[in-house]
Amino acid sequence: MDRREFLLSAGGGLGGIALASLLQNEPLLANPQTGTHILHHPPKAKRVVQLYMSGAASQCDTFDFKPQLIKDNGNNWDPGEQVQLFQSSPGKTMQSPWKWKQYGESGKWLNECVAPLGDCVDDMAFIHNMVSKSNVHGPATFMQATGFILPGFPGMGAWISYGLGSMTDNLPTFVVLPDPRGFAPNGAANWSAGFLPASNQGTMIRPNSKTPISNLFPPENDFVTRNSDRDVLQALKQLNQQHQQTRAGDSRLNARIQSYELAAKMQLQAPEVLDLSGETKSTLQRYGLDFVDFEVQEGISEAAEIAYFGRNCLVARRMLEQGVRFVQIWSGADNGHPRRNWDSHEDIKRDHWPLGRGMSIGASALIKDLKQRGMLDDTIILWTTEFGRMPCSQGSKGRDHNPFVFTNWLAGGGIKGGTTYGESDQWSFKPADPANPTMCYDVHATILHQLGIDHEKLTYRHNGIDRRLTDVHGHVIENILS
Amino acid sequence: MWSVTRQTQELTPLLALCLLATTVPTIAAEPDFEKQVVPIFQQHCIRCHNDSTKDGGLSLETKQGALAGGENGRILMPGVAEESLLLDYVVGPEPEMPKKGEPLTKTEIETLRNWIKAGAVWPPAVRIQEAQLNDNDWWSFQPLTQPPLPELTDNEQQQVRTPVDAFLLARLRKAGLNYSPPADRRTLIRRVYFDLTGLPPTPAEIEQFVQDSDPRAYEKLVDRLLASPRYGERWARHWLDLVHYADTHGYDKDKLRENAWPYRDYVIRSLNEDRPYAQFIQQQIAGDILNPFSQDGVSATGFIVAGPFDWVGQIEISEKLIEKKITRNLDRDDMVATVMNTTVSLTVQYARCHNHKFDPISQEDYYSLQAVFAGIDRAERSYDPDPETASRRKTLQTFLEQSQSQHQRLDAQIRKRGGGKLERLEAELKRAMNAKQGQGVEYGYHSQVEKSDKTPKWVQLNFKQPVTAEKITLIPAFDNYNNIGAGFGFPKRFRLEVSNTSDFKSATTIADHTQQDYPNPGTSHIQTDAGQKKFQYIRMTATKLAPRSNDFIFALGELQVFAPDGKNLSSQAQVTSLDSIEAAPRWSRQNLIDGKYYQSLEFYTDLSELKQKRDDFLASLSTGEEKKSLQQLSAKIQQLQSNLKKLPDPEKVFAAATDFPAQGNFRPTKGQPRPVHLLSRGSEKAPIREVAASAPNLIDGLPGNFPLRDPDNEGARRVALAHWITSRNNPLTWRSLVNRVWLYHFGKAIVDTPNDFGKMGAQPTHPDLLDYLASRFRDEGQSLKDLHRLILLSTAYQQSSRTNPAGSELDGDNRLLWRMNRRKLEAEAIRDSVLQISGKLDLEMYGPGDRLFVLEKPQHSPHYLYRKYDPATAERHRRSIYRFIVRSVPDPFMESLDCADPSQLTPKRIETLTALQALSLLNDQFMISMSVFFAESLEAQSADLTAQINHAFQTALGRSPEPDELKILQTIGAQHGLKNVCRLILNSNEFIFID
Repeated sequence: MDRREFLLSAGGGLGGIALASLLQNEPLLANPQTGTHILHHPPKAKRVVQLYMSGAASQCDTFDFKPQLIKDNGNNWDPGEQVQLFQSSPGKTMQSPWKWKQYGESGKWLNECVAPLGDCVDDMAFIHNMVSKSNVHGPATFMQATGFILPGFPGMGAWISYGLGSMTDNLPTFVVLPDPRGFAPNGAANWSAGFLPASNQGTMIRPNSKTPISNLFPPENDFVTRNSDRDVLQALKQLNQQHQQTRAGDSRLNARIQSYELAAKMQLQAPEVLDLSGETKSTLQRYGLDFVDFEVQEGISEAAEIAYFGRNCLVARRMLEQGVRFVQIWSGADNGHPRRNWDSHEDIKRDHWPLGRGMSIGASALIKDLKQRGMLDDTIILWTTEFGRMPCSQGSKGRDHNPFVFTNWLAGGGIKGGTTYGESDQWSFKPADPANPTMCYDVHATILHQLGIDHEKLTYRHNGIDRRLTDVHGHVIENILS
Repeated sequence: MWSVTRQTQELTPLLALCLLATTVPTIAAEPDFEKQVVPIFQQHCIRCHNDSTKDGGLSLETKQGALAGGENGRILMPGVAEESLLLDYVVGPEPEMPKKGEPLTKTEIETLRNWIKAGAVWPPAVRIQEAQLNDNDWWSFQPLTQPPLPELTDNEQQQVRTPVDAFLLARLRKAGLNYSPPADRRTLIRRVYFDLTGLPPTPAEIEQFVQDSDPRAYEKLVDRLLASPRYGERWARHWLDLVHYADTHGYDKDKLRENAWPYRDYVIRSLNEDRPYAQFIQQQIAGDILNPFSQDGVSATGFIVAGPFDWVGQIEISEKLIEKKITRNLDRDDMVATVMNTTVSLTVQYARCHNHKFDPISQEDYYSLQAVFAGIDRAERSYDPDPETASRRKTLQTFLEQSQSQHQRLDAQIRKRGGGKLERLEAELKRAMNAKQGQGVEYGYHSQVEKSDKTPKWVQLNFKQPVTAEKITLIPAFDNYNNIGAGFGFPKRFRLEVSNTSDFKSATTIADHTQQDYPNPGTSHIQTDAGQKKFQYIRMTATKLAPRSNDFIFALGELQVFAPDGKNLSSQAQVTSLDSIEAAPRWSRQNLIDGKYYQSLEFYTDLSELKQKRDDFLASLSTGEEKKSLQQLSAKIQQLQSNLKKLPDPEKVFAAATDFPAQGNFRPTKGQPRPVHLLSRGSEKAPIREVAASAPNLIDGLPGNFPLRDPDNEGARRVALAHWITSRNNPLTWRSLVNRVWLYHFGKAIVDTPNDFGKMGAQPTHPDLLDYLASRFRDEGQSLKDLHRLILLSTAYQQSSRTNPAGSELDGDNRLLWRMNRRKLEAEAIRDSVLQISGKLDLEMYGPGDRLFVLEKPQHSPHYLYRKYDPATAERHRRSIYRFIVRSVPDPFMESLDCADPSQLTPKRIETLTALQALSLLNDQFMISMSVFFAESLEAQSADLTAQINHAFQTALGRSPEPDELKILQTIGAQHGLKNVCRLILNSNEFIFID
């Protein structure tokens, strides 16, 4: 690693000040005060929130309204071709168990299951012709998270951290709020730094846990106290500085001294961000948080979904306020039993209702709250899932995987609200125009574009190839930009 | 650079005439087709418009294709440029074509225009294909010969300890630089200990070395460390980084790979034994073929399969889905990348979707490498490490098969005499057995899971109107979950009630087993006399639940209500319950009354009667002699089977496998390679042609095609690739390896991209040095330990790491090695050293990985919970090489210290210094508990704080503290205790950075 490479790798986690002091003579940081250095063009947005529905949320029970399914409900479903499903044979056409209604000036149809988002549709842009390269949870989850169906690639948040660096010294740049029940398929590999320097990886925060950030404070013991820590860190600095004096010319030694100072700052700031006691009652209610402390349950229930997702959304807002650049919020855990994610093979009604309510109450609160605080303008919210679900039943009350079509929506950060781009066909089975689907590459390219990054230019040389978040694909979706 | 294939050089006379006719008027402007036009098509069009992809229905591979046009009609009107759509597509400020990449330049468009005007001359023999690089003129492909030592001045000559110095000094001289002074012995011993063993020297070892007056003291030290088993443990980790070894599968579910560790042990053992490198590589690619009956041969192939395994894609996805092929393609892709990147530093995997953009590797080359691995899968296989056992097993199995077939033949003869009667009997028996045995997938009703057995649960049948019942039958469920099987979920205590209101506020109890535990009924049915009672509702309440793994449930297969006429009425009822997991198809309320339940064979007397009848008839068909023969054969078979059982159990290892028990849709090839096709754009939907196994043809004197007697022998394919890689004539292999060793010793490689010796990679800083080391390594025994000596005994390695103005001015990055590089300790070295310093390191070698986490829910998607593992109370602490490595959820402590990510091949770790890393070293449970152990061990040696601090410094940093350092630590010790002193020292820069 040469000096510059090293400094950059240290920078992602150290933050602007450290970068500035280490790289002061280098042109990249001509203007560190702005917080965001301009990478390729002036940005519209600074921050991103990714809402990730694990298990594959059904588009035709939430955002993608298809009157044909209501009309044909219970009839044989015949899309005019042979359909091979993941684990079943196609059953009858199946309408959503709940009603649809139009909202906002744009008149967007939403299902009752996600009705709380009705107030926000004029801030949202929907993409209904998303397509995945895999219908298997693991690879498909990787794809929406990292742009590749294979392990080993950096998450979108890691790329953005690598490209834009940090806006705060006191908190990580890329924060992940997992579902309190457990990890989605692939686990922490979904937010790894891949081949990028590890400082760009997502830092997991579990607001429900006794130790929300691992190792922020020591575990229970009989010798570390606030006072001892203060004195130990002071003494450590003295020893390290003495050590450094006889070893000039190795910038790593100073960078490591600084990393302990940043750690101390993080110890002060992080608990504050996670402390919701200062939020007003009306804010808490908006996020559906009548109570904030609760036991994590095994399965799915409406109260639990509202509490998990609402709390994570509120914590996300607080993080964004304090300069975190990328927050990833997960709804749904692994594929264990009982069901604890959106993979409703058995019963859409049983699982999508509580999950949909929880998600839409939290997401709607987040959009409105950011708007009220003037932050929606430069914060992009992306709602995604690994693939969609079939318009037919799988012989039960559930739906099988549909990699051919699913929905994404975006809001804020220069996204044109009240728009729908990319239709699915009459059943929500495939894109209406199969030759021109939208893929994660396009969504990723669009988000990078709004952040001032040309997705073809944000590259990293790894094992003989210049890697990109968008691989060799991707077009900015101009139609959803304001 | 482009490849134009051309069958004949001559144009046909007719075409030549046409050419003449049309070209006369515009002769000045007519471009040369092959020199000017072909490159344009090749650069901008052919990737999408070729015979196999045919985007928009158009192929520009041949004149015929170009003239035929595409979905939008003709594109080429020879002689009439204005009417040729081709030009419209590429002209303009935002041309429609090419869809990707740069638009055509004005000159290129003019060339095309003039070519069309001139009649679009295109000799029929010329076929345009995607450009393929066949330029082998690149440093790494050149033959490997030993360069002469550079000439040096006398002064320089005095600094030469090994030939390494000669090359380095010559290069330094050119830059106007020289070596730094030697490091002192205290620094040197710490450096070489960490480098070779990943552990610090003890204070006693340091003192002994510092005091040693033998001029060969350092040489002896190096030899001693190379002979230490700790050497293999340290250097195996480097190799495992390269091959992305882990103990779980990765992807969705990330299941455990219980027997991956024998491969890890193989690597440690091979390094400690200093196995010749060619053999090391050959065993890892084809050891199961080359040394099938050895501890090493089979486990060595763990190399090929070390990467992730897509469990869902391989096991759950049906053979019919295209995803299956994609899964297999990607699986082989990982094998190819692992083998080729690691051994020859070629990034062949970038030729999967198109020819390699930078190196002379075609898509065909790439898929031919996939074909090498087309007969194997990643799976657990068994083998006999002992050749005697293996041969005995084989003999016994042969005899067993013989006796079995003899028995079968005789039996068939006898049965033949039974004629139609026996056939009828057998058919009847078969029908009965099919009807009675086993169950479908509909198990029954299953309550929610509880943490305690004291939560009452009920399930009930609700009839539309009152019914009269004679008898109630309860049929227990059967589920092999947790090996429970029969009587699954049957409550320990329960009662049966009937009522005329659905809430059972007033009810009659017809069976009460709530006072004492009811023995588990297994498969037997429990019948209760209902005494002709009339009721509309019947409820079973479990008052003490059945145990499952660590939790409790209530499950029942069937609840039957029989009317006096013997008819089961339950299917008319509706089932409700307090709760239910409703996990169709196995468990649902509806399954309680569907008439489908587990039925064991013994349960049916009529069946055993039938069997007896058949056996009696069969016995009447044979003579006494035949009966005797059958008996003898049976006895022999039994004997052989019991002898087989007496053999030691075969070993199990996760390795390259052709034969293993099928699991779901994951079936072994039995050695028959699956067909591998050249895929257009890497898409399984667009196969072009089947390819044969071979290696690339990019080195002069080393043909890539394999001379295989039986091309379908998958093992022979791998052996051939192993020989291609380890051939003397393959310069890549030897250069690749010495470059890696150099990197691990100096922290910087000679070629900065150890996995890529292609054109996107770096060039060597010292090409002669690289070739010198590579050729000596290849020709003089391929001993890694000799190579280490050559490097470690050099003056270069023994220099001080301090900087000087001249060096930092002229070569700030120290590419020329005018000083030694300071090493930042790797995650494993930090953890192992902390363990050793705290007196907690257990040096036991080998065996299954240590789980530094608590495993929960292993049945479906295992949860790996690191925070629940407590190092303070752990039974033992071994070196980090023996960690059980989880792919999806890395150990957060090790990850924060930049350990390798097993999701990817790691030729060189990235170093970071972050706040989160500082927090890990300060606060991780491991560091806190080791600080306590460290302090305790110091206290056991002395009660005096100053002596304790002195000792702590010596143990952790290898030196005594300076007076001012001592003072600082004494203050901390006095105010906050020795544990805080220990924690401080383990966080110091001096502990993390090795001079």
